[in-house]
Amino acid sequence: MSTSDAGGRTPSASPPGRAIVSRLIATFSGTVGLGVKILLLAVMNAVAVWAAAILAGDGKWIALGALIASTAAIDAVYLFSRRVIPLKFLVPGTLLLLAFQVTPIVYTVDVAFTNYSTGHLATKPEAIRAITQNTLEPPPGGKSYVMAPARDAGGALVLILRDEETGKAFAGTRKGLEPLAPGAVREQAGAIVAADGYTLVTGSELFTLDREIRSLLVPTEGSAAIRAEGLSTAIELQPTLRYDARANTFTRISNSLVFRDNRHGSFIAANGEELEPGWRTGVGFENFGRMLHDPLIRKPFLRVLTWTFAFAFLAVGLAFALGLFLAITLDKPGMRFQRFYRSLLIIPYAIPGFLSLLVWSGLLNDDFGVVNRLFHTSIPWLFDPWWAKASIILVSLWLTFPYFFLVCLGALQSIPAELTEAARVDGGGRLQIFRRVTLPLLMVAVAPLLIASFAFNFNNFNNIYFLTAGGPAATDQSVAGSTDILISYTYKIAFQAGKGQDYGLATSMAIAIFFIVGTISAVSFSRTKALENLQ
Amino acid sequence: MLRIRTLRRLAGVLVVTALSAVVLTGTATSAEAPKVVIWADHDRKAAVDKVAGEWGAAKGITVQVVEKDFGKIRDDLKTVQPETAPDVIVGAHDWTGQLAADGLVLPLYPSKATLTQFPQYALDAFSYGTAVKKLYGAPVALENLALIVNKKLAHVPKSFADFEAQALAFQKKSSGNIGIAVPQGTAGDAYHMYPFFSGLCGYVFGVNKAKNLDPSDIGLRDPAFLKNASLIDKWNKEGLLNSKIDYGTGKDAFLKGNAAFWITGPWESDTLKKSGGTGLKYTITSFPSPTSTCKSVPFLGVQGFMVTKFSTVHGVETAARDLVGDYMMRADGQQALAAANGRFPANTEAGKRVKDPVLILFGKASTGGVPMPNIPQMSSVWSELGGAWVNATKGAGATPAKAAFSTAARNIADKIG
Repeated sequence: MSTSDAGGRTPSASPPGRAIVSRLIATFSGTVGLGVKILLLAVMNAVAVWAAAILAGDGKWIALGALIASTAAIDAVYLFSRRVIPLKFLVPGTLLLLAFQVTPIVYTVDVAFTNYSTGHLATKPEAIRAITQNTLEPPPGGKSYVMAPARDAGGALVLILRDEETGKAFAGTRKGLEPLAPGAVREQAGAIVAADGYTLVTGSELFTLDREIRSLLVPTEGSAAIRAEGLSTAIELQPTLRYDARANTFTRISNSLVFRDNRHGSFIAANGEELEPGWRTGVGFENFGRMLHDPLIRKPFLRVLTWTFAFAFLAVGLAFALGLFLAITLDKPGMRFQRFYRSLLIIPYAIPGFLSLLVWSGLLNDDFGVVNRLFHTSIPWLFDPWWAKASIILVSLWLTFPYFFLVCLGALQSIPAELTEAARVDGGGRLQIFRRVTLPLLMVAVAPLLIASFAFNFNNFNNIYFLTAGGPAATDQSVAGSTDILISYTYKIAFQAGKGQDYGLATSMAIAIFFIVGTISAVSFSRTKALENLQ
Repeated sequence: MLRIRTLRRLAGVLVVTALSAVVLTGTATSAEAPKVVIWADHDRKAAVDKVAGEWGAAKGITVQVVEKDFGKIRDDLKTVQPETAPDVIVGAHDWTGQLAADGLVLPLYPSKATLTQFPQYALDAFSYGTAVKKLYGAPVALENLALIVNKKLAHVPKSFADFEAQALAFQKKSSGNIGIAVPQGTAGDAYHMYPFFSGLCGYVFGVNKAKNLDPSDIGLRDPAFLKNASLIDKWNKEGLLNSKIDYGTGKDAFLKGNAAFWITGPWESDTLKKSGGTGLKYTITSFPSPTSTCKSVPFLGVQGFMVTKFSTVHGVETAARDLVGDYMMRADGQQALAAANGRFPANTEAGKRVKDPVLILFGKASTGGVPMPNIPQMSSVWSELGGAWVNATKGAGATPAKAAFSTAARNIADKIG
């Protein structure tokens, strides 16, 4: 049986492999190895220099410091030290851990304490700039012009303008509009091509003047001014809000309504009117507080939590039971077509999960699905709250039992046959041997995987989202559907509510879920320690 | 021994310095001339390349079109680093509120002559503001749902009663038959049910005095609609509507001749044209209304181009405004850009030049349509509106429509907060 093919893979029985390895070691310990090492370090340093130039240019000093320190550390460890061989393995590992594990966690925690969400993405200066820009509006009877940037005799930038309605031509400067003689401005196909006394700016020179053109405001009446809109149009606009940097307020010019910084990243007036955009700012524990106080989140929380536990336990428990059962059944020596059966059972595992889920949601369709038609039933697989829960567990079972089948098959084969034989000699029954000998030994290997699987299913967004999207709606008239688990519910609250995206709330809910899963895993792992003592 | 080690170190340091120097000179020389970077989706990339390329060639500036998944364009714009950020994006009008509230896109002020070439609703679709509305995008292409009739199985309905009678009669003929294929599914699909909803006097958000959408005026609980909602219960009972039909089921049934009516949009025009080869005879028409007080209209989707705040940083703001607010709004550019993914152009002049009969019929069915609300609070609506419809039309065990929609309205109000 399978011991024969397992034997071929044991490392002790492969001398040719060893020879290759030792030859490789021999080759790379000499000059060649040194050359390769120096080349790799050089490439790394070159990338670091390139990155450092960019970071320095952007003024990101913390990141620059981290980059220099880590590069120097790697260089020092590989180039100059002979005594600290363990560091050669530890330093890259630690750096990667910091970059890809610790940094995202720090970011997540950081976001959880901010109002980072739709309308609060920018920094405060950016928000003020955007509000100032959004405040511009055509005054009553405001005009629009055909425009061309040009230089006067002295080389100063002016806007050659032709009123769209009256057809009158002007030269616009910082001082105001200077009328031009009729016929002084010539057009072709609606665009100004020449103006007497001025040289039009054309070609690629135009694109080096972006800032100059944008800042050239031709004053008209009051606070209104004509400004270029693009390269061939100009429009008269006036601000409707005024920013007072010292008081940190915006004032609406028409009715003197004052918008104040509400310390939550927005300018808000006394009547509740808010200026957009706002900015990103710290809000302390507010997001966590919302989880406790906001009825939108709190109302269905217990129901969702219960179902999340039920789903994760049942999905893992049933998949494990089925996988173990099949593994034991197929572990019989001398069984025919054993390999064929095994391959067949692994198929669900080999198909991409989300594809299976989409196919299943079609197969289970209440009225038009294959399942109901095949069995001449009319089970509301996806539209009844309880059946939808059953469907989700069944489909999860289909997706994960091959995994446990494989794991159990491997673990069963690693249990020494002497143990079960000894138990049989002692007069143990089949069930007794399984319960007292096989299962405990199996659990030593499989229990950590069960815990990991549980943690994974606890957050198994795909299974829920692709099969039922959390539906059908629950009877408690809340935002959570009857099959929503915590993570899909978090998604609905954070990304399908309010103004669309609430990263601050989403991350704080994710942290809460982490603590739930983390506690369960910690408790379970400490329990499996007891199992390990068996060996 | 010591000498060898020193040599090794020296060799290392030398190689490192040499490579670094190469890289540094490489980055130093790549200080670039200004260029306009555009994010466009796969379908439109070629057309954008062509139209923006023509503009760039005429004006003397480089245009770089970067291909992105349509949905990714909106999401990536929020997290992109300024160095690699686009100056212009292709977008859907219902992103306008979110992107403007985030301060990511700039208001545009095209000339009056340009604005008059567009229907007001196309401009409204891209306009947003809590107090004063601003235009944030150049509308390019329009899309909307229409009623597709299988001419062998049914005729263009003269009234809603006729529509209902034909659908029910067809369903009675055989158990696999679908009268009206309205794509829904477990989670519901507010976009595809909207023609029925609007015909019953339902709406999503009302407008305030400043003509802006008002997120506190939720049309799912409008008394006129709730009064008409009992019709939904009637349709559910008689089996006229069945929310178990999802997109694939509905499309399949219609193409195989198992559905008399189908509700879909111009993204299926190729499918429809090809289906002519299999002997399917169809026509495209607007929706009959179930009430005399309100019209049955589809949601309108408008796609267009927006100028991002990054264009200012990149020093190409005037160029980007010229491209989007002027050149791309002209009839010629519009025709090419809308044709790129088979949509009706937003510019009325370009609209007159459309020859494609299917597009013309879809265009006609858009009359009176309502742009999908573009305020960010719409995120709170989609799943609730679709979910309420599914609950009321899932056959046995359905919730009475009045209760389903009242619950949804309350949830929406809670979510908006």
